Amino acid sequence: MDLEKTIMSLCLAKGVSGDESEAAELAISMLKEYTDDCYIKNGNVIGHFGAKGKKPHVLIDAHIDQIGLVVTHITEEGFLKVSNCGGIDRRILAAQQVIVMGKVPVNGVICSVPPHLETDESKVPEMSDICIDVGMSKEQAEQVISLGDKIVFTPHCEKLLGDRISGTSLDDRCGVAAVLRAMDIVKEKTLQCEVTVLLSTQEEVGERGAKIAAFDIEPDIALAVDVSFALTSDDSELKCGKMGKGCMIGFAPSLDRELSKQFKEIAERNELPYQIEVMNGSTGTNADRFSVNKGGAKAVTLSVPLKYMHTPAEVISVSDVENTARLIAAYLEEVK
Amino acid sequence: MDKELLKELCLINGTSGDEDKVREYIISKIKDFCEYKVDPLGNIIAEKKGADRAKNKVMISAHMDEVGMIVTSVKADGTLTLSAVGGIDPRVAIGRPVVVGESGLCGVIGSKAVHNMTDEEKKTAPKFSTIYADIGAADKAEAEKYVQLGDRVYFKSGFEITENGFVSGKAIDDRFGCAAMIEMIRSELPYDCTFTFVVQEEVGLRGSRTAAFTVDPDLAIVLESTTAADIPLAEGEKRCCELGKGAVVSYMDRSTIYDKELYRLSAEIASEKGIGRQTKTMVAGGNDSGAIHISKGGVRTIAISAPCRYLHSPVCAARLSDLKDCEKLAAAMLEKMCQL
Repeated sequence: MDLEKTIMSLCLAKGVSGDESEAAELAISMLKEYTDDCYIKNGNVIGHFGAKGKKPHVLIDAHIDQIGLVVTHITEEGFLKVSNCGGIDRRILAAQQVIVMGKVPVNGVICSVPPHLETDESKVPEMSDICIDVGMSKEQAEQVISLGDKIVFTPHCEKLLGDRISGTSLDDRCGVAAVLRAMDIVKEKTLQCEVTVLLSTQEEVGERGAKIAAFDIEPDIALAVDVSFALTSDDSELKCGKMGKGCMIGFAPSLDRELSKQFKEIAERNELPYQIEVMNGSTGTNADRFSVNKGGAKAVTLSVPLKYMHTPAEVISVSDVENTARLIAAYLEEVK
Repeated sequence: MDKELLKELCLINGTSGDEDKVREYIISKIKDFCEYKVDPLGNIIAEKKGADRAKNKVMISAHMDEVGMIVTSVKADGTLTLSAVGGIDPRVAIGRPVVVGESGLCGVIGSKAVHNMTDEEKKTAPKFSTIYADIGAADKAEAEKYVQLGDRVYFKSGFEITENGFVSGKAIDDRFGCAAMIEMIRSELPYDCTFTFVVQEEVGLRGSRTAAFTVDPDLAIVLESTTAADIPLAEGEKRCCELGKGAVVSYMDRSTIYDKELYRLSAEIASEKGIGRQTKTMVAGGNDSGAIHISKGGVRTIAISAPCRYLHSPVCAARLSDLKDCEKLAAAMLEKMCQL
């Protein structure tokens, strides 16, 4: 598979939390290359691999949803008032191009305050002040837009220098791509245990898709493939990994220490670059749900370092996605 | 209004001092319909023959440049520090894709992840002194292979005109004026007149100053875009002007007190011909009129502007009906002013 192309096409698909179908349909069409036993249940994409019923049952997850906005009100003049769907940085909203997922997709722009009205340029708007201009009257808007429609930042994806890519929803479409690439690497191999791939909904609003899918899947071991912070000059080295230096393996009180160590050891043995990401409690990823599913599971986070998280200009290095996929594949080849 | 022409013009990148591609495009469209020259600053001065000789020399002007950013240094980690070219609110600069330099490198202006911000940081808007562009360079040495100090940085925005005539995209200020003038030059005009496509409006009305000196007109029309604030965040007179209410003709802004007779004439013509016309409810902003009306011994000047929301941001919004009203009013005013 062409990993870069896969990431870029996943990134262009729209899928705000709770409205992931476009991204999910694209992802399942890609997953079908590797298994016929796959389907969408309650929005989650699920695919089965390996020796059915054979322990341990390994779950590999990446979330399919992305942050966005939701329509809460249409004003008398036809502007849309909104609320956030996931962790939105209000500072970056003004003058962004968006698509309202109405009966038909409607292009819009987030209103910004013109300079003659703004005496204080350091002010950040409250979410209640954010409104979207779709160039329609209220009557026109109501014909195509309903309250509850999701709003996505107009998708884009570009190649930067080297192997770096920028796009709107690399969190976590690059994780989805890493999972697909891992299954691509092991497609000729006979796996010794049961493996289930989960591309889950609603991570950004509280890991809800992961919770209900894990209940059905009942994994013994769960790998949460997500993104984490790559260092930028305005951030702290204590919180960030480094772009281009490989998969970030999570160590945290809520993760299984032996599993984390096993991934570190596999990375070293296979000469794959890796970084250790230490968290001091829960992880803010789907791993938090998997570890306490039913009677419990051993969980680890495998994260692709990403810059500018939750802005429409996220940046990753394709090599980090490839190395994350290789690490997952190496694990699958030896887990029994 | 030729929608394709407007779209193509808006999508060209050309900030102040870097208008070359806009100029080349305009020349390709007008060269068979007028005599033109390019002055030392880069202004296009085009003489259009009409059916008759005009009693007064009338100059009609629009600016080619748009707001943008400029690379001021390369940091150790390969990111680029930026300054604004023209009036950009730094709050509309972060979290979006950009195009860097003459070769059109893709980049982004990012922002530290919201997860890692303090409550205070979340409530504080960025400043140009703290933002930077990322082209994916691993370090300073790699970035310097592709970028030179002084390279321009442009927002990468889509451009759209919907079926109900809603126009959105970058640089409508003032490629709308350029598009309208190209169409006038390509049409039959009743009288001779001079068209100037000028540079560097956004950094202090600089191109229009030399163009007006060279042309030495009796009267002038500036075709522009002006701030409309008819959005939920503003009420009453703070809205300044509104989309869908027609061409904006000001009596006064921060750079010009407009010629009273021309101001009244615009009202008469608009009502006589049924052209939408409004005025601003605030004294705000400014445009090339500021340089033109005090050129040499003085030039009687009027500005006809398209109301435009989110001016100087990566996505301006306008209405096609207003653009058409501006064109109609400009054509009618031009005809009258030639014979005043």
